[in-house]
Amino acid sequence: MHGYGQYILKRLGQFVLVVFVGISITFFVTHLTPIDPVETTISAAAAFGSTSPEAIAMLRETLRELYGTEGNVIQQYVTFWGRILQGDFGPSLSAFPTPVSELIARALPWTIGLLVTATIIAWVLGNILGGLAGYYRSNVLLKMSGVLAMGLHPIPYYIVAFVLLILFAYVWPIFPLSGGYRMNLAPRWDATFILSVLYHSILPALSLILVGLGSWFMGMRALVSNIVTEDYVQYAELGGVNRRRILSRYVMRNALVPQMTGLAMSLGAIFNGAIITEEVFGYPGIGSLLVDAVHAGDYSLVLGITTISIVSVAAAVLIIDLAYPLLDPRVKVA
Amino acid sequence: MAIGRTLTVAVSTLAATTVAFAQSQVTDLPREQTLIVENPEGTIKNASWFNYWSVNAGGRSTGLQQLCMDTLWYVDSDEGLDGAWDNSLAAEPPQYNDDFTEMTVKLREGLTWSDGEPFTADDVLFTVETHKNSNGLYWSAPIQINVEEATAPDPHTVVFKLKKPNSRFHIIFTVRWNALWIMPEHVFADAGDPLKFAFNPPVCLGPYKLMAFDPNGKWFTWEKREDWENTSVARFGEPGPTYVAYTDPGPPDKRVIAQLNHELDIIHDVAPEGMFTLARQSPSSVAWFDGFPYAHPDPTLPSLIFNHQNKVFSDSDVRWALALLIDIKAVSMASYRGAATISAIAIPPTGTHPSDYHKPLESWLEEFELDTGQGTIKPYDTEITLALAEQLRASLGDAIPSDPEAIQAAFGQGWWKPNPEAAAQLLEKAGFEKRGGQWYTPDGEPFRIRIVVEGEKRPVMTRAGTMIAQAWRQFGIDAETEVAEGTLIQRRNTGDFDAIISWSVETLGGHPDLAFFLDSWHSEFIAEPGAPQPPRNWQRYSSPELDEIIEKIRGVGFDTEEAVELGRDYAKLMVREMPIIPLMAYNVFTVMDTTYWTGYPTADNPYTNPVPNWANTKYMMTQLRPTKPD
Amino acid sequence: MRVVFDLLRTNIEFAIGMFLLAIVVIVSALSFVSPYEPDLIYVVFPDMPPSAEHIMGTTSRGQDTFWRLTFAMRNTLLFGLSVAILSRILSLLIGLVSGYLGGAVDRVLMSINDTFVVIPLFPILVLFYFVMRDSMSWVGLAIIMACLGWAYDARLIRSVTMSLRTREFTQQSVFSGMTTRQIVSQEHLPYVMPIVFSTTMNNMNWSIGLEVTLSVLGFTNINTPTIGTMIYWANQHTALVAGVWWWILFPVLMVVILFIGLFLLAVSMNEYIDPRSRLSRMKGAA
Repeated sequence: MHGYGQYILKRLGQFVLVVFVGISITFFVTHLTPIDPVETTISAAAAFGSTSPEAIAMLRETLRELYGTEGNVIQQYVTFWGRILQGDFGPSLSAFPTPVSELIARALPWTIGLLVTATIIAWVLGNILGGLAGYYRSNVLLKMSGVLAMGLHPIPYYIVAFVLLILFAYVWPIFPLSGGYRMNLAPRWDATFILSVLYHSILPALSLILVGLGSWFMGMRALVSNIVTEDYVQYAELGGVNRRRILSRYVMRNALVPQMTGLAMSLGAIFNGAIITEEVFGYPGIGSLLVDAVHAGDYSLVLGITTISIVSVAAAVLIIDLAYPLLDPRVKVA
Repeated sequence: MAIGRTLTVAVSTLAATTVAFAQSQVTDLPREQTLIVENPEGTIKNASWFNYWSVNAGGRSTGLQQLCMDTLWYVDSDEGLDGAWDNSLAAEPPQYNDDFTEMTVKLREGLTWSDGEPFTADDVLFTVETHKNSNGLYWSAPIQINVEEATAPDPHTVVFKLKKPNSRFHIIFTVRWNALWIMPEHVFADAGDPLKFAFNPPVCLGPYKLMAFDPNGKWFTWEKREDWENTSVARFGEPGPTYVAYTDPGPPDKRVIAQLNHELDIIHDVAPEGMFTLARQSPSSVAWFDGFPYAHPDPTLPSLIFNHQNKVFSDSDVRWALALLIDIKAVSMASYRGAATISAIAIPPTGTHPSDYHKPLESWLEEFELDTGQGTIKPYDTEITLALAEQLRASLGDAIPSDPEAIQAAFGQGWWKPNPEAAAQLLEKAGFEKRGGQWYTPDGEPFRIRIVVEGEKRPVMTRAGTMIAQAWRQFGIDAETEVAEGTLIQRRNTGDFDAIISWSVETLGGHPDLAFFLDSWHSEFIAEPGAPQPPRNWQRYSSPELDEIIEKIRGVGFDTEEAVELGRDYAKLMVREMPIIPLMAYNVFTVMDTTYWTGYPTADNPYTNPVPNWANTKYMMTQLRPTKPD
Repeated sequence: MRVVFDLLRTNIEFAIGMFLLAIVVIVSALSFVSPYEPDLIYVVFPDMPPSAEHIMGTTSRGQDTFWRLTFAMRNTLLFGLSVAILSRILSLLIGLVSGYLGGAVDRVLMSINDTFVVIPLFPILVLFYFVMRDSMSWVGLAIIMACLGWAYDARLIRSVTMSLRTREFTQQSVFSGMTTRQIVSQEHLPYVMPIVFSTTMNNMNWSIGLEVTLSVLGFTNINTPTIGTMIYWANQHTALVAGVWWWILFPVLMVVILFIGLFLLAVSMNEYIDPRSRLSRMKGAA
């Protein structure tokens, strides 16, 4: 077990490095943006009444000081790391002085709730169907479901979501058009609110599952059709082992390892939000916050969201790597 | 048979119940007492921020400025309930001394804030003082530049001493779309830095108060104040809706669906095709005009704006050549599907302007001559809107008026006749040259124009820009549109464009005075190329002649014939110089559902602008009545 | 070439896949003989439903939907292929080398790889768009996306190679004196190829989907006809609620045909490439 401990240490070092480099790259790319949050605010401020050039210069200086955007990029970079290490993303520049962390905290529960659920359901369904389709290759029903999953998969997500909305919120309007819960309802932990949230999440979740299913299905199917031809499966079949047992014990289990990697990474990536889902269903979440922040040149907010995303994806990768040797005994720790 | 029938009944019952259930899930408020309005700002990022005065504010047209805020005067872009001018918190119009260095305001008595505190001159003084002492507020600059001192001789009179003569000082306190709102002294006095105070919940002078809001900024709900009689609009009667909700209904398709489902009473704006869909499929929906072109023309003038610091456009012959390449009928069709109100002069063809400017200038326009270098032409075409109406009649039939007067009211008067031949002559006169089907500038560079458009945010403008680019391209100019979704304001203010579809002309609409926007055209605002400048004079156009007109207007009274005359001089100068190519009024497809409410403003009853993000839609509330009174 | 004919004859999935792809390619190729210039709008009467004259109707912008679609399909296809090929090369190289060699090389490569995995793609692409503006052609976008889109699959390939490394046949190859390059390209590549094919599909799906997402939000050059910009313009004219369904339906149909075609090809190619799967098929036939 000594080897594994060393492996953990090495992997942790790699994790820190990856996170550092990833955040740094994002920092500099973000600061490439031609949008200046101070100028954006000034435009809004000076849009009314006559405003002299001196007044604008005055306002610009006040705002630079207020937003803490004086100094060159390097100085800002140092300040940025100083703050991040204390877990502080600073104030949002486009919603000054509200802290970035507060804006994220308002949106994040919606993103996590919707995307984690939808991702897991799609993963489980996709793998079961894909595994069956890969193993029982002559089954017509499974072939059909394959074609269906495949047919849905390539339709641009935007269209799937929008067609669902048209069908179930307009043609047969049984689901809400917009929002995360009923208008004028107070968000608190009671049955009315929770039911309203669940009801509003059905269509968005359904759209994500329909589209997400396909790639898990395909991946699993490909993996299983590969494994089926392996010697040990052939032996087991010849040896008269129950086919269902073969499928669950020998085939699916081995195929699950790469699929787990995929799942972990998908879960890590949800912190970017699902921008199209949020746009089409008017669902609250981190994705539209991110696009809004990019538009407004609010790099504090952009960096706040991307930092969370970078850390969580890196953590997902780390967990998978650490668990790998435990899941697949054939992999020796280097 | 029986089974079939039972099944049909069962299915339709199921369908009906589920739909009814879905309907009941829209809002918690009693639907018959609630007006649901689109907030075009969409989702508000900083929803819990109600401090309107700080520049970094949250939502503005969330109901905050329409229902909660109030200030001294309002001027309506249409006729108004009692004339376009309304004394709101003020009891009478502004009184200036002879040299316009002092303005006296009498305030209404008996008004209260939503927390019961009385409204007095102290609130006005506090508002002015706060803006003098803080730099980061919306109206800090105009107050600091203008106001020497404000005093209150009695609790209902305020006297402003100005730093220099300004006959238009009251415009700061006059709502067109918004204005400097009065702050509650008793709340802000102890709140500390006004830049860091959220003002949650807001304390209101308007007839409604905040009820609830979504922390993620999707909706805001307002409730009628019990003491609504103590507010300035009480003069026009009790507001109809007990509750008003402002929501983000999403992209245009969804707004149409929401209204078809009767979940959205007022749509702020949709694409023309969405409007036509509603006109066809939703009998309960009404718009400003009963038939085509439906839309409300805002007193805003979308134009093709040149960047005058780009030396390709420094010659007025070039600008004129580009104007003569535009087929306004094609632009109208591409952008508004014909539902546009066009204008040849740089004044929006809306409100009272046609009678003050467009009609009086008509004969001058007809006689206007242009020297192409190889002859003179009269470019103005009075028949153009009649031809457009004729073209539309082919597919829309009786929806199109046939009376020339009515056609002009809806579609505008005339425009420039497309004349590629004259355009070529003008370009040659300016030293341009055509080689191998492509025009070259006097420097020998290919003539390249990128028209910046705003993309999906303003589809109609994007479509107009695309059509214009196409016309220029077919003539041999390397022209294309460039979408600046989100960056448009930034690029406009730093002069980072060749040409842009936007507006630098915004008028009061219901009043002929042009100083409201014209002041911003002064050359004093122009910055170095590439440097940001205040969002004034985007075209970076510098003309001594125009500066002179602007300075003259600053010195004459608000309600004088002299001011209108100067406005006409401005319009003529614009035609000669063509610094921007005026296109049309900003027609807004505001669609109102009469399922729950009636009494909306329309062209037949034009008491206010129906476009619901305008602050003067507060007057609409007093006129709305339930369709099905209980 | 014989292989193709072979497959066409024996493998129905391959035949259908080829047929579907042929449709897409032919449609794309037709763009070269289009009677309309791709950039022009209002050249035909707008909003006409499909008819003999305009088989897919006309758009609200006065364009013939079919001919517009030929340009869009061509650009989208080229875009998806460029991203897929470029990123496949990168991910194969890095995945195989990293997985087989392990140790320090693996750690360095995977650190680079993971950095690319963790960088959030969407805001970066939007920022690139803001910086590059109209010079952001589909070629530029394809290169950026290829550079950002290989890491995930490289990891997958690495994990497969890692497990292959511990297998007997690898050990035997090592003992029999094969070089690393030979082992990787001759022994491991065939195992990895099915993944490459299925990830090609996923990758094209991903890149085309992202192109559509960016276009729908207006973050690409909307003047270039692609499937994404077609949907963008349809949205601008609220085509779905205005009843101009053909403007959306046909582009979507073409994308679906493309992907089902690719899927069937990938499936049949996998079977063909995998030697044991081929053997078992021959046994089955016998």
